[in-house]
Amino acid sequence: MTLLAQSPMSLHDTYAAPVEHRFNPYSENGGTILAIAGADFSVIAGDTRQSEGYSIQTRYARKVFQLTDNAVLATNGFAADGKNFVRRLKQSLEWYQHNHHKQMGLKAIARLIQTMLYGRRFFPYYVYNILGGIEEDGSGAVYSFDPVGSYEREACRAAGAAQALVQPFLDNQIYFKNQQPEPGAEPFVPGRLPLSTVLGLVVDSFTSATERHIEVGDGIEIFIVMAKGRSPESLLDEKLGEGMTIEEVPPVGEGGEERTFLLSGPLKRD
Amino acid sequence: MNAIIQNLSTPSHLPTTEEDELKGYGNLDEMGRIKGMQIPRVPDPTAFLNLYTDSMSSNPEAKIKLAHGTTTLAFRFKGGIIVAVDSRATAGSYIASGTVKKVIEINPYLLGTMAGGAADCQYWETYLGMRCRLYELRNKERISVAAASKILSNIVYGYKGRGLSMGTMICGWDKTGPALFYVDSEGQRLKGDLFSVGSGSTFAYGVLDQGYSYDLSDEEAQELGRRSIIAAGHRDAFSGNTCNLYHVRENGWEFIGNYDVSQQWYEYEAKKKAAREAASSEMAVEV
Amino acid sequence: MWGQPMSAYDAFNAHASFPLPMRSAPKAQPVSHTQQPVVTGTSVLGLKFKGGVMLAADNLASYGSLARFRDIQRLHPLGSHCVMAVAGDMADFQWLKRDLGSILREEEALSLTDNHPSLSAANIYNYLSIIFYNRRSKGDPVWNTVLVGGWDEAKKESFLGYVDLLGTTYSSPTLATGYGAHIAQPLLREAFEAKAGLDGKGELPTAEEAEKLLDDCMKVLFYRDARSLNKYQIATITAEGVKISDSKSAKTEWGFAEGLRGYGAQDR
Repeated sequence: MTLLAQSPMSLHDTYAAPVEHRFNPYSENGGTILAIAGADFSVIAGDTRQSEGYSIQTRYARKVFQLTDNAVLATNGFAADGKNFVRRLKQSLEWYQHNHHKQMGLKAIARLIQTMLYGRRFFPYYVYNILGGIEEDGSGAVYSFDPVGSYEREACRAAGAAQALVQPFLDNQIYFKNQQPEPGAEPFVPGRLPLSTVLGLVVDSFTSATERHIEVGDGIEIFIVMAKGRSPESLLDEKLGEGMTIEEVPPVGEGGEERTFLLSGPLKRD
Repeated sequence: MNAIIQNLSTPSHLPTTEEDELKGYGNLDEMGRIKGMQIPRVPDPTAFLNLYTDSMSSNPEAKIKLAHGTTTLAFRFKGGIIVAVDSRATAGSYIASGTVKKVIEINPYLLGTMAGGAADCQYWETYLGMRCRLYELRNKERISVAAASKILSNIVYGYKGRGLSMGTMICGWDKTGPALFYVDSEGQRLKGDLFSVGSGSTFAYGVLDQGYSYDLSDEEAQELGRRSIIAAGHRDAFSGNTCNLYHVRENGWEFIGNYDVSQQWYEYEAKKKAAREAASSEMAVEV
Repeated sequence: MWGQPMSAYDAFNAHASFPLPMRSAPKAQPVSHTQQPVVTGTSVLGLKFKGGVMLAADNLASYGSLARFRDIQRLHPLGSHCVMAVAGDMADFQWLKRDLGSILREEEALSLTDNHPSLSAANIYNYLSIIFYNRRSKGDPVWNTVLVGGWDEAKKESFLGYVDLLGTTYSSPTLATGYGAHIAQPLLREAFEAKAGLDGKGELPTAEEAEKLLDDCMKVLFYRDARSLNKYQIATITAEGVKISDSKSAKTEWGFAEGLRGYGAQDR
């Protein structure tokens, strides 16, 4: 009787093939990125830590990349997907430049990113992209994307591990959410903050995220794209934070009147 | 001279690769798919997608969170079509954005709404815009809303079961007058006078149904659309932030405005309170 | 064509968008890959030092928990100034050696015939990362974690990079895979930062210091990693070229085991 009680299936189990653990093609590498648009500039930043689980893989891995003389892209999520996405994108942009003898405009790059991401709708790039730069009309712009290509132009956006820590701060400081102007004072207009204020907000966002999120830290890289006619003097005269350095990023093409600068500095390493 | 002409004219036998290039639009192939659309090489691609993304809402734990959650509505009335939507995108319990444009301006006469996967709606409705433009160029007249919505429906039906997620309303004005179609990623396509789609649709229907009539004035209709979205935005956690309102008339669509859900809700409440107080003071006078 | 009417079809159908095309026939069933690592190597280490870079790997290829092959070299030279240290599936490692070998021979031949520059460590690493990423995207990963160390004679600087089965890549002055990432990496970083500073811009450890450090790390790994072997090699890559040491052992001390209590049945 006891023999019969045994399910016939369990007899086969002994001979069943070893359990195949399906290969997981994705990983998550932490970090946070953000971008803020100004009237005639755009700031795109990211930390430089790359991690997997509780291990810090490296303290310096880039996630913000110059695409053209007026576009910078920040990527976050699965580092291998990010790197390869950027590699493909840069190649497309180079072909465009050879074909048209000009660099692709910002909003065209945004649409290109959408089609590239959607091309992998059924095997997504696990990447959150934020594109920043100068629009053809000279205004600072930020575009943010989901992993399969839906996108939107915004005044600011944070993404990545500490998105939920940084975005509310930006909503408050950039969009003036839950703030009331003084009685009789001018109403708040988003997207008109001066560069020095914006840089302060970016640095504070990252130092604070570093304090409260284990996947954020080590270093910060802030790309600043300036529209033509805007004097970079104000930037170079800026009193930089401790350990911060600034350099001009050479143009990708012949160089228009837009200029890109890279402000980098340390973050806490613990 | 002949040689020059030969060079300038389109060669009749292009290499096959270039021939393929000519068939699509930009980097799209003739079906609007992106060339080399990559399908994961696994026995069941749909199960793969569901494992790693929350695209079908059946796996909320998935790592790749795609934007979701919505209230959208559109209805037909004598003055045209009212389209009203909220602007919230959620990824799990996180509000990924409060400024999403859920009305997609396909062309000056056609609007599409966005519910379900944001990228699916944005991408395919943009592509629908290209197809509608081609129709105009070939036929020297605007496409009907019925035809446009059918193009979309046919495309997504081709991907049925693959994990696309969209519930959209195609709204426009054609030879037949105002026309409204509901199209979803299951391949369903319905003509109708009134639709609401998304997690907040039940709330919107509640307001919409009690106030709807074909003979509404423009102002009444706009207010009904707005009021419905505000109600849904207030009660549905996955909808809210702001309401975008559009009105489609004979000469194309018009953007009416953007309204903050919370602010608008409390204005309605204040109005109700004022009306109540006015009524009770009248009662007091009568007594 | 001039002087001749253009066919209406050509003129208005530049994109061949009409007639509406039919859907193509469904493709054949996707290939399914059943794979998992079988014979495996455990962690490998890498460290930059003054004038070069060092890699370390033990000589064991395990078959599950069985120490199956105890004399396997897991450090493989690639050209004159580059070495890869490989953890993970040893069959895939052998395939990698063969694949890279053919590329390297081809490039070497080119560099002899004209002034074609020979592949740098960074080039090889980049090539590897593309192979790994493409294979993972096919759902058929190269089941390895690889450290690439090299010396760039043109830039007069060392190179050290990591790539794994997902195509994930990164560089750092000290690297370790697998258990090594948890056990050895902290020791490597501590020693490296003590010498070179937090920014790594100071004086790097000397070759002697680097080797001592790797010896220590291999010993610590042997103490705790059950899939390791106290027989390992160190590759040193400098301007002079590649040197892969003979197998060696760390001096271990097990006396402390006598006093250990609390790991199961004991008399007292």
